[in-house]
Amino acid sequence: MSSVTSTTSDQDALLRAGIDRSLRHPVMFFLTSGAAWLAVSIFLGVIASAKSHSPDWLSGCPWLSYGRVFPAHINALVYGWGMQAGFAVIIWLMARLSRKECTAVGTILTAGHVWNLGVSLGIIGILSGNGTGMPWMEFPAFAWPVLLLSYFAILIWSFIQFRVRPEGHVYISQWYLLAAMIWFPWVFITANTLLHCLPGHPVMGAAINAWYRSAMIFLFFTPVALGAAYYLAPKVTGRPVFSYSLAKLGFWSLAGIAPWAGMQKLAGAPVPFFLPYLGAAATALLFIPTCAAAVNTLRTMLSCPETLAASPSLRFTTAGIVGLIVLAISSVFLNLPGSTLRMTQFTLSGYGFDMLALYGVFSLIMFGATYFIVPRVTRREWLSRRLIKMHFLFSVYGVIFVALVALFGGLMQGMGQEAWQQPWSPVAARPYAVTITFSWSLILFSNIFFFLHLTLMWLRLGRRSSHPTLLVPSHGSGSPHGEEGDIDNVGPAHAH
Amino acid sequence: MSLRTFILGLTASFGAAWLAMVVIPYLKMRDLAPLADPAAKSATPVFFPKRTGRIADGAMVYAENGCYLCHTQVVRPTYAGNDLYRPDWGGLKNDPDRGDTRRETNAFDFLGEKFAQIGVNRMGPDLSNLGRRVEADYAAGSDPSEWLYVHLYDPTANPKLWNSKCPPNRFMFEKREIKGSPSDDALPVDVGAGFELVPGSDARALVSYLLSLKKDHPVPAALDFAPKKKDGDS
Repeated sequence: MSSVTSTTSDQDALLRAGIDRSLRHPVMFFLTSGAAWLAVSIFLGVIASAKSHSPDWLSGCPWLSYGRVFPAHINALVYGWGMQAGFAVIIWLMARLSRKECTAVGTILTAGHVWNLGVSLGIIGILSGNGTGMPWMEFPAFAWPVLLLSYFAILIWSFIQFRVRPEGHVYISQWYLLAAMIWFPWVFITANTLLHCLPGHPVMGAAINAWYRSAMIFLFFTPVALGAAYYLAPKVTGRPVFSYSLAKLGFWSLAGIAPWAGMQKLAGAPVPFFLPYLGAAATALLFIPTCAAAVNTLRTMLSCPETLAASPSLRFTTAGIVGLIVLAISSVFLNLPGSTLRMTQFTLSGYGFDMLALYGVFSLIMFGATYFIVPRVTRREWLSRRLIKMHFLFSVYGVIFVALVALFGGLMQGMGQEAWQQPWSPVAARPYAVTITFSWSLILFSNIFFFLHLTLMWLRLGRRSSHPTLLVPSHGSGSPHGEEGDIDNVGPAHAH
Repeated sequence: MSLRTFILGLTASFGAAWLAMVVIPYLKMRDLAPLADPAAKSATPVFFPKRTGRIADGAMVYAENGCYLCHTQVVRPTYAGNDLYRPDWGGLKNDPDRGDTRRETNAFDFLGEKFAQIGVNRMGPDLSNLGRRVEADYAAGSDPSEWLYVHLYDPTANPKLWNSKCPPNRFMFEKREIKGSPSDDALPVDVGAGFELVPGSDARALVSYLLSLKKDHPVPAALDFAPKKKDGDS
């Protein structure tokens, strides 16, 4: 490279390419193994859901009994897919935004394998009948220190990159990601040490478990999703974020409100009176941070409608943000202590809310980020527009059915429970359960192809092209992807 | 905003909730003052439900097999739900000895458990007083543990529960050839000539635990939110 032709933008491109290259294997490892866990989790979810309306199916095998398959489904979704997708997005975004190459690839990959080992043994532990019986924390007690240590070994480098970054602007994405990186270990250590190591009052243990579930959603999965959305929306559209002050409001109100939420699940249980009611109030108030961030990113993306229609990243992100608005509305309407809380406290709507948060918001935005990040780290383009479209349609329609049917079915179930004049009977939830089974099957189908697509990309079997895979046919050319070209003809390489 | 300010802000906003919602209530509830037991006749009348031996093992079986996914163990006060109005959830409406024993769940009911299985979804009925209910109602006049064994083996075998969504737990039972005289524990389930069905150790532990679920023990006046009216009162 001659210094005469080298410009700032060439150096920038070189730096970005260097960062992407350094993170290729960690990012692809977390995304691909995460996608595999996602498929496993949904497969278990289909089995669990089918058993909830046909209890005799596969009833001979203890490993596949409902009471074990369902926790395995949730834990695989949270720790297998959710956390690992979060790792991939955090390490890549923090490196890019701090402008630092990753220097600890070996440690991250080793820790990633340990994480996967921990999750696998935990799932086997649940299925073999050694679960702890604490929702979302069913992994046998050996698993959590393993997960915690590998968490630190994976993400400490992103924190260091932020500390040693060249001085400059701190992006909104970085607030959310840094905060999530700090909140998760705090929440995880608190819940696990209190419940596993320092036995206290059993009902207070149940309250902390409920707080833990809510904190995982609103202090890890939501901020990671918002960090990615605040990166993708301005980056892909090329427009600035709609409002900086709205972003600040959204972030600090999340930080101030979300830690109080969660214990409304214990309303009426013998814990100090204020805990469930503060929890209900905080959950309803979460409308503010979620809507502030949703409006802000949505306005940014809508400033460029044609990009929105063409870019898979933006399309998934928009769907996830719309999911966030639905989540915001349901966090108000499911938690009103005088009317709806008693009907949603012990019903299917809790599952609907969790799945809306985990799949309808977090996963959709993670898919959007995946479709953006993977071509950059592998330097190959996605193979098939059709697979991406199918993934989008099945995911979005699937999660609409799973979440909305569970939310609505839960309300119906709650009304039945409260009708105390009627004798108790297993509520006629069959149509809801059948719909949920069917929708999970659709989602499973599309995610198996998502996993295969990712694997091919990791093997660098993607298209060698400089044209991004867009969802609308380009004009005036025979190939739906435009002219085929060697990816190395553009970008940093041609500065050489 | 520097990193220092940022982390201070996060620590303050999270730490306040962390202390107020989690740490302080947890520490406070660890030292719950003992509750006097009005029904006890011993010298130290302290209310402490039995949670040892096979009952504790049964609580583990309950947790490991996900019973908490479909069954709750909390009878909410009337401000939070209608559980108390049901005739057999909070106790028994017409107990032959004690009359109406129904009451809401209190913190002492869970003493000695590892984790209170409050539950997440009521696909099945609340189990706070299952032991009481099975003895007085479901299995009235017969052996309550046998009723529970048969129920766990195949919930829909009972014509009254034909529509139950409770999964059968056949793996907790052992089908074996009858050698000599049949076992005293054999269940009244037809598993073929020359064979009998006996509960395994998990089933025995689970049934001990389920029969121990009687959370309508009398409470002292301080905790009795629905005291009996005197005869003269209207």
